[in-house]
Amino acid sequence: MRHVTNKLAALAVTSLMASVALADGSGSIADTRTIGYVTTDLHWAFHQTQDVDKDCPEGLAGYGPRETFKELYPNGGPVEKTQLARESLKFFPTDKPMQFPYIFSKERIGVGVNLDGKVGPNDFVSATGEQGIDNALQKVLACNAQFRRPEGQLQLFGNKFVRTSTWNRTLIEITNVDSLTRSDNVAVTIYRGRDPVLLDATGEGVAPGGTQRVDMRWGKPIIQHLKGKIVDGVLTTEPIKAGIYPWAIYNDVPTLLNWRDMRLKLTLTPERANGLIAGYMDVESYYTWLIAWSTHHLSYGRLDPAEFYWALRKMADAYPNEKGEMTAISSALTLDMVQAFITHPDADEQKLSDAKH
Amino acid sequence: MQSVETRRTRSSRVFGGAFWMGVTCAFVLGAAGCAHDVTEQRSADVPAVADLGPVDAGSVPRVRFMTAQQYSNVIADVFGSDIQIGTPIPPLMRAPDGLLSTTAGSVGIPGGQLMQLQRAAASIAAQVVDKGDIGKELPAHRSYLVPCKPKAENAADDACAEKFIRSTGRLLFRRSLDEAQVAGWVGEARAATEHLKDFYAGLASVLEGMLIDPMVLMVADTTEPDPARPGQRRLDAYSMASRLSFFLWNSVPNDAVLKAAESGEIQTPAGRARVVEMMLSSPRLENGIRAFFDDMLAYDKFDSLAKDGMVYSRESGAVLKDAREQTLRTAYDHLVVRNRDYRDLFTTRDTFMSPALASVYNVPAVPGWAPYSFPEDSPRQGILNQVSFLALHSHPGRSSPTLRGKALRETLLCSVVPPPPPNVDFSAVEDPDANLHTARERLTAHRSNPVCAGCHKITDPIGLAMENFDGAGQYRTSEGGVTIDASGSLDGKEFNTPQGLAHALRDHPGLPTCLVRRMYGYGVGGATTTLDKPQLDFLNQRFAASGYRVPDLLRAIALSPAFGNVAERPAAPLPAIKTTSLAAPGAAVE
Repeated sequence: MRHVTNKLAALAVTSLMASVALADGSGSIADTRTIGYVTTDLHWAFHQTQDVDKDCPEGLAGYGPRETFKELYPNGGPVEKTQLARESLKFFPTDKPMQFPYIFSKERIGVGVNLDGKVGPNDFVSATGEQGIDNALQKVLACNAQFRRPEGQLQLFGNKFVRTSTWNRTLIEITNVDSLTRSDNVAVTIYRGRDPVLLDATGEGVAPGGTQRVDMRWGKPIIQHLKGKIVDGVLTTEPIKAGIYPWAIYNDVPTLLNWRDMRLKLTLTPERANGLIAGYMDVESYYTWLIAWSTHHLSYGRLDPAEFYWALRKMADAYPNEKGEMTAISSALTLDMVQAFITHPDADEQKLSDAKH
Repeated sequence: MQSVETRRTRSSRVFGGAFWMGVTCAFVLGAAGCAHDVTEQRSADVPAVADLGPVDAGSVPRVRFMTAQQYSNVIADVFGSDIQIGTPIPPLMRAPDGLLSTTAGSVGIPGGQLMQLQRAAASIAAQVVDKGDIGKELPAHRSYLVPCKPKAENAADDACAEKFIRSTGRLLFRRSLDEAQVAGWVGEARAATEHLKDFYAGLASVLEGMLIDPMVLMVADTTEPDPARPGQRRLDAYSMASRLSFFLWNSVPNDAVLKAAESGEIQTPAGRARVVEMMLSSPRLENGIRAFFDDMLAYDKFDSLAKDGMVYSRESGAVLKDAREQTLRTAYDHLVVRNRDYRDLFTTRDTFMSPALASVYNVPAVPGWAPYSFPEDSPRQGILNQVSFLALHSHPGRSSPTLRGKALRETLLCSVVPPPPPNVDFSAVEDPDANLHTARERLTAHRSNPVCAGCHKITDPIGLAMENFDGAGQYRTSEGGVTIDASGSLDGKEFNTPQGLAHALRDHPGLPTCLVRRMYGYGVGGATTTLDKPQLDFLNQRFAASGYRVPDLLRAIALSPAFGNVAERPAAPLPAIKTTSLAAPGAAVE
């Protein structure tokens, strides 16, 4: 009973907040100083036009599992010495060096953030002319059909699973907000949400205005705190040393992308937040995410995992290990979110959850 | 599975006889004439009780085709809600009195419809006797819906078949089967079992036959001489049980109600009162209340309602489904659970919220349906300001003060707004003129045509007060960059907010009298006529005296002599009453 009463009390408070939002029709946060968003779509960030020949004059990456198999075993052979030998290599990519040519993008316009604050020879220039964009991953992905929009399989499915699967809601809650156009000192917290997103009238997009309960059962490890500011409607956070941004769980494999110096740069409106999550992606965790996809999925985009591993390693540009090998690669994801009411478990609920887990 | 041959033999026997007689009666002769054809000669000594209503008032007996929702409720109540029924009964056309249910006495049933009914009957019968599948988590319905086990599954068992036929047939036909009927159905079961070598298949074929029997599919009022009014007639006990049950539960009578009919208790004032109290306290009352308001508020239109997703991206199918549900839940909770004043349904801030709907209201929600109260400073007040009314009476891509005003007048005040003339020029409201930013501006231009002005004067001043809500029911303060002016008037009462309209409607004398008229017509299955005036006057007085409590109104209708008395002759429907914007409050209705 007390639990229900608490819930209703919480609801009454949030309703009042919502009525303020309704009163000026803008989703005002004047009283609550808080706004929440839920992730709907992620795409690996790189410059892309409709003209693939212009973007990739050398063509798209051509050696996927089928092509490498055909070249390596033109006459076939025992399954364990051919198909299985090649496929198992994805779990031990360092067993063999790169064997086939990989097409790296040579595009100079880039999408991302100037992570190191410097302008270097390998950096990109943004479409708006900003210098020093760090996104070495763009060179690996931009000429690979697996990642280009709109057909790129991995993000297509990842975003579909955000809509359909159980655990795939990633939230941000921004507090201490003065206004969505200017706030000098805001706190941003990343959570996992427990509730399905609301599909809009098209059946494909996600409608703003849904409610997400914070998942304190299995979501605790991904709760992260960032500090930032909002200037001219753009939220920019300071980097955190090590960050995780979950995408979608599929085939029972979580996609916990591990970043170093992770930060957010988002344009905020009362209904949406769109922008970038950027940092240095840990190469091994990125690769773990990639090989969760089965061979047939990777084949559609002509992506041979073992070859791709070396492409990643070749372009990795940060956090060298003791051997001097780079372990992280500058990168960014475009992030699309819609506004959501974020509710936190009350004390009773939290106690129960803690006792269970 | 039974053979096609078996089905055809039985079906032609059933359809070839009583079915077509019933259909023809209902369609051609008119319901009143048919009802007398199936009148049974039973009588009982039942004195009239003056304080229950005018003793000489009565209603017309009818033969009504079961509605889709009634059919669904019947199957769920008799066999369980997990029986899949499909959609064998098409939607009805709305009657001039504003109700769907009152047209159920004058429907035609084309041949294609019969095929659908039989297909559904075969499917339902097969499910009722199925043996389940543990692997698919399907229950063995036969283990609890058939009250006995046959001696052998591949042979006839008359005793077991008779048990099933008596108990199931009594509920479906809403009366005890006589011995000849039982013997006939048992014989059918035996023949089918011998042919199919399967007792349950044989039973299913009998059940299929019952489910397409016209006396199951049609609710026929049968009458008997009325001992309290020599020379006149009243509904017999079984018809009284059915009328009460479809009125209060939108379904068949249960065992207790049928027992009261079998004993004749339901024909005594005290007995009927006991039965009505039992029915009013049953959980099935919720189905009845929801069915009535779904009908009165014209929510069948939700079945074909679609919004332009490019304009109202939040208004998904799930939102529209929940919008309908929200108002029905609100009505049942307000009127029955809390037993509050009917008029306050239009000013209450208490409702229920679902996650999908919350996105349109822009409020947080908890999973599932939960009670919710809009805060005091919210523009949302009453069911008029809920998404259901606002979205239903709008265009796919824009709001419509005219449609909203018309709907309020017609559904809630029982007025009739004439349709637009055939040559009306809609250009002022439909053309994207950059100089006309708001609906008020567009309608003002439209009303400059005197042909249009007459009707718009009685709808638009109401609808314009709801312009703070767009065509999806979302709150807004401006349209086309111009601040919305939500001022308006209702029969002389002026206001400038949606809440003001809610209060004006709440205090409108036509609001409760319209409900009385609709509910009485719904209960007796036909549009009210001039002959019903004394009865309606009595009910209006009773409703007011009760503080406008709907359970009291239901009780008053169900216990009134008119509910069971047969009217001397059918009368012409009450003429439509038109309102004007200049009329004084109340003048529009009475």
